[in-house]
Amino acid sequence: MYATYVIWSKHMTKFFHSTEEALGLALQSVLWVVLFGVGMRGIVTQVEGRDYLTFILPGIIALSALAGSVGGGIMLLDERLRGITREYLVSPIPRLSILLGNAASTSTKALLQALLMLVIGMLMGVRLTGNPLGWLMALLLVALFTLGFSGLALAVASVSRSIMGYHGMIFLLNLPLLFASNALYPLDVLPAWMRTLVLFNPTTYLIDAVRSLAFGAQPSLVLTNSIAIVTVFAAIGMWLALSAFRRSIRS
Amino acid sequence: MATAAIEANGLVKRYGDVTAVAGIDLTVAAHSIYALVGPNGAGKTTTINMLTTLTPPTAGHVRVAGYDVQRQARQVRQCIGVTFQDIVLDGDLTGRQVLDIHGKLYRMSRQERKRRITELVQLVQLEDVLDRCVKTYSGGMKRRLELARGLLTNPQVLFLDEPTQGLDPQNRVGIWNYIRHLNREHGLTLLLTTHYMEEAEMLAHTVGIIDRGLLVVEGKPADLVATLGANVIRIHGQGDRRHFIQQLGNLPFVDRVQVDEQDSVVQVYVDNGNRRLVEIVQAASGNGFRVEEIAVAQPGLSDVFLRYTGHALRD
Ligand SMILES: Nc1ncnc2c1ncn2[C@@H]1O[C@H](COP(=O)(O)OP(=O)(O)OP(=O)(O)O)[C@@H](O)[C@H]1O
Ligand SMILES: [Mg+2]
Repeated sequence: MYATYVIWSKHMTKFFHSTEEALGLALQSVLWVVLFGVGMRGIVTQVEGRDYLTFILPGIIALSALAGSVGGGIMLLDERLRGITREYLVSPIPRLSILLGNAASTSTKALLQALLMLVIGMLMGVRLTGNPLGWLMALLLVALFTLGFSGLALAVASVSRSIMGYHGMIFLLNLPLLFASNALYPLDVLPAWMRTLVLFNPTTYLIDAVRSLAFGAQPSLVLTNSIAIVTVFAAIGMWLALSAFRRSIRS
Repeated sequence: MATAAIEANGLVKRYGDVTAVAGIDLTVAAHSIYALVGPNGAGKTTTINMLTTLTPPTAGHVRVAGYDVQRQARQVRQCIGVTFQDIVLDGDLTGRQVLDIHGKLYRMSRQERKRRITELVQLVQLEDVLDRCVKTYSGGMKRRLELARGLLTNPQVLFLDEPTQGLDPQNRVGIWNYIRHLNREHGLTLLLTTHYMEEAEMLAHTVGIIDRGLLVVEGKPADLVATLGANVIRIHGQGDRRHFIQQLGNLPFVDRVQVDEQDSVVQVYVDNGNRRLVEIVQAASGNGFRVEEIAVAQPGLSDVFLRYTGHALRD
């Protein structure tokens, strides 16, 4: 879809134009990894027989993807509130491409961030698997996951009337997605009820898959299932975004 | 395309209890300029939104360039250009980027975009600032950039929602000139809205007066004015106005008497203003009405507005 590409490249142009945003994103990545890595190392040295930073890195990557998606939603909300979406709406492009262009640019930024985090992690002693295909798969999953959560954020952005309202709703989504997952603690230390809860969270599958694909950990879940679930999450997210957006412009 | 570039039948838009557009029939001939004139909240923007596929009508049908706005939205979008009432530009992009991205959305080729951008930027005189961020533009520059964007894709029909709002007189005349030029040289069909009567009078082949969601009258500016009578005498005064008006109505040479309640001006349409002035002042004296100010004028579109809506158009 050409229009998706045009809108994606518009967002990327704006991103690289704005040094604050690009630099901010880079610094954030460094800070997350360094602070988490150095700070937590003091209390926890090993999880499941592995270095804590290695364990936590996929979680940090997922967290930053979530934060990026929240930003993507704000972009749409801002364009909606300022009326900029009308330029797209009177042009002969599919409505979906407006959302896909936005989500794709968010995913791209999340990928850049993930790459940077991996590099910094490696400088701090994190070991990746020897299989580049695994890294690629892991990055692809991060991109899909970002699409999915971008979809949720865009759906909320389509119906919100203000930035404050948007943040309120997004926070409710964001928090459980991160904490009710295996991002910070391994699955088997959780009590049974929490484990059940965590298994409803797509973040869990992303993180488990990334851990095994990029870092060579033993997967706690079936890898193909995890990949399928993250893919379905991406599709559902974008579908939700499209239906909410359609409804919002049909007034 | 036969004759009509825009054809709307029984157009209605309701927002809950609010009826923004109450049933409008509108025909705009191809290659003509049509001006929708009306006060704030008359339904001009809502009408444009329905004609440009942005808002689905509650009832009615619209065809633009021969395509049905609801069933063939994509074809309609392909052949129209739109500028919105408020400025809708991404401040972080340069003027060139804004135009280039717009052209890409319409799948214009790289050379085509380059050629059109050079052409249009000259027309709207933005050569010097084209590579600056839009947020550094003045209001007038932004308007002109938007106009260039609306024209970039060579639309058949161009919709301009209050194109000169907030512009200084010089810029306003500039925009009028582009609009006329585009229509004359390129046969572009234009539908614009405005609350300036003079703007409609200067530009439009056809004027439609819209008030409270209804098209109250429509026609060539000259024809509309001609229905009013040769001259209008405007009278400010104190006293028993009702009786005075009754008196005036009885005079054989008076076509019509109109009162603008807000300004308390009595307007008397007569066959010959200069000759009747004295007789009208006489009719006032001895009837409890004291004339304070009186003037003879040529009626204009503003008087047409007053005549058909019962109130004056205010900016
Ligand atoms: N989205 C909306 N929801 C509810 N009411 C609306 C909406 N849009 C417009 N209206 C109402 O419809 C009426 C017509 O509005 P519209 O914007 O079409 O007027 P207008 O002629 O363009 O006025 P102006 O000269 O101020 O631009 C107004 O009473 C307005 O409050
Ligand atoms: Mg308006």
